[in-house]
Amino acid sequence: MPSGFQVVVNELEGPVFATDTGQTLYKWPLEGLRNGYSGEAPGIPACYEEVLTVTAGLMSPYPAGIKLPELDKRKSCVDLWPPVYADEEAEAIGKWTIVERRDGSKQWAYDEQPLYTSIRDMQPGDVLGGTTRSSRGDSPAYRVPISPPPMLPPGFAIKPTAIGRMLTTDLNESVYSFAADTAKSAACTEECLVNWKPVSAPGLAREQGEWTLLERSPGERQWVFRGKPLYTYVLDTDSWSQEGSDIPGWDNVFTQPAPELPASFTAQLTIAGNVLADKNGRTIYRYFCGEDSQDQFNCDHPDETQVYRLAMCGAGDADKCLSYWPYVMAGEEEQSPNRTWQIKNIDPMTGRYVSADDNDAFRVWTYRDRPVYLFGGDKVIGDVNGGGTGEWRGKRNGLRAFWLRDDFMGGIL
Amino acid sequence: MERVSLFTVNFLTLFFLGISVASGQTGKLENRSIGYVMTDLFWSVYQTPSAEECPRGFNDGPREQFEQLFPAHELLSVEETQLKQEIETWHPTTEPDGFEFLEVEGRLSWGLNLDERVDDNDFNHPDGTPGIDNEVYRAVGCIIGFRGPDGVEFIFQNKAILDRRYNRMMIELSGVDDLQNDEEVTVTWYRGMDRLLTDATGQKAMAGGTQRIDYRWGQSLIRESKGKIIDSVLITEPIADLVIPWMNLSVPSIHIFKDARLHLNLSEENANGILAGFADVDTWYYQLIRNDSTHHLSNGQISGISLYKALRRLADAYPDQETGANTAISTSLDIKMTQVFISHDTVGAIASSP
Repeated sequence: MPSGFQVVVNELEGPVFATDTGQTLYKWPLEGLRNGYSGEAPGIPACYEEVLTVTAGLMSPYPAGIKLPELDKRKSCVDLWPPVYADEEAEAIGKWTIVERRDGSKQWAYDEQPLYTSIRDMQPGDVLGGTTRSSRGDSPAYRVPISPPPMLPPGFAIKPTAIGRMLTTDLNESVYSFAADTAKSAACTEECLVNWKPVSAPGLAREQGEWTLLERSPGERQWVFRGKPLYTYVLDTDSWSQEGSDIPGWDNVFTQPAPELPASFTAQLTIAGNVLADKNGRTIYRYFCGEDSQDQFNCDHPDETQVYRLAMCGAGDADKCLSYWPYVMAGEEEQSPNRTWQIKNIDPMTGRYVSADDNDAFRVWTYRDRPVYLFGGDKVIGDVNGGGTGEWRGKRNGLRAFWLRDDFMGGIL
Repeated sequence: MERVSLFTVNFLTLFFLGISVASGQTGKLENRSIGYVMTDLFWSVYQTPSAEECPRGFNDGPREQFEQLFPAHELLSVEETQLKQEIETWHPTTEPDGFEFLEVEGRLSWGLNLDERVDDNDFNHPDGTPGIDNEVYRAVGCIIGFRGPDGVEFIFQNKAILDRRYNRMMIELSGVDDLQNDEEVTVTWYRGMDRLLTDATGQKAMAGGTQRIDYRWGQSLIRESKGKIIDSVLITEPIADLVIPWMNLSVPSIHIFKDARLHLNLSEENANGILAGFADVDTWYYQLIRNDSTHHLSNGQISGISLYKALRRLADAYPDQETGANTAISTSLDIKMTQVFISHDTVGAIASSP
């Protein structure tokens, strides 16, 4: 790693690369959208000083060339995503390379992807500009924080989810641990092995750090992580499953759990899995928004244009928004448990953050610095009637339920 | 497919449940019970080869309507165009949108006489039976996306029934003495938990598979009704509110059918026919647009904005007590089911609280 950079650990994202002042580094990978591409091809910066004024028509059926909202306040790409410039003397090291911008200036790149910081990140360790969680098809071409490769033996992977960084095999099978096992002995034997398959270690495998080996029988070695032998569950029906954790004594394995939820929140059973809910059991939703501009700006944050959100939540009427999609209010005594779940003050009419001494402010819960919502159309506990509301199933200007368990949607967590 | 070992998992599931597909036990009545799992489901659309039922053609979709509404879109803003249309889609009204909606004009329709009346605007069944109630057909029959064999909804909503475990509804007939004629049987709806047993293509469900009942996530979907079998046709009594989970593109959503009933031709391997009832209009509409974005709807020339107004206009049951406006619309769905062994094992009910 070149000088001037460091690794910081975020409570949600895990280890990420950052500048020496703690600003998280982001890349903007090229993404194929419905009618073309956005993002950056390797080695070619595409984020510059021009303020774009019209839509790009990347997502059908709406055509290109429509005027973007609030042009008088619109920022350029570099206003929101400052490039990480390299000194004239800087030299490439390993995956860290240097690319040239149009004006001849030098910009750091990682894996050939030009690097940026985000104006959303206010303090060292913030990762509010983007996430490593998969957004899957039809989402905007997001900026993604860059991370050092995880310290995993071959054959394993990490899946970032809403409930933590889940350890899996490289075939996306969940791995599990058994409470009665220890690093030196496996209690899961004989009949137990009908449904639980030890994760085998190859002959050349060596112990390292939190990863050790258990010799179950001569020549048969099993991977052990943090003192627990690892298994897959043969009855799992999907990737990244939590089905095995239904069996008493068995748990999914996480390299890092998600930050603690607000104490008043609950988890509720729905017909599609478990969902995060407020203290009254009402399903909690997140708002997602990405513009149809070539620079694919986010529009999901209170500091960004509220035109899209107001259209979706209340047909442009803030009062209707408060009725159809009310904020999740924080109780007077409640406190923020961590940096991921924060209580903020918001002007309910503008949707903008305001100071605590604003008499009209609502004290609301936020996740990754964005407010979370309830849905007026949910009538009973376990309803998720608002999920998928909005453009592109809620992925580009809409709302999606905050799932805690996914048994049906193939990795939506 | 995200995993390479699904075949192995399915095979082992069957093996450890003690079921042998090769045992030749398909379709056998066991303990006077037989199960069927849903493999196909779609709105009954009566189509003639030359679309005589749509003499004025087919409806325009969002793309065509946008071009007509905003021929000079370069002069306009996102708020004046795209968001205006999305607001109309997500906050629909019954006010006219300026586009003529083309309803089905034919007299024939698949379906059942749900209200036991013969009214002037009812359809006739192709077999001559009058009084057929199917206003959903009147609304969607002249929209390309709802017509087979290549309408976008026809293909993908139906395919989701086969592919998605979330949609895995099944019925169990119990108290069956004779699969040809039986004066009273009990019909119980469950959701299954497992992938379907299919042939090597993965596209054709095979009889003889096994499904565990989803007692946890699917508990609220369990329904029971009485029925009778006449000449191998199962006819059930209406269920007050049948909920069918129907996820197309990873958005968990449902349809609600009031007075839902089945007419199914039974064999030891299949149960095919009709599911009919009154669909809750709002639930119907939002199931469609939550799964399929305006882009997807455009591919089937489905204007959500126009369709909502038609559904409201044609709704024919369950008037709202305050406004008097009907909240439900008669409908019929073509349903195909394949015999399945239903396991009442309660493993799926473990840890029923989150």
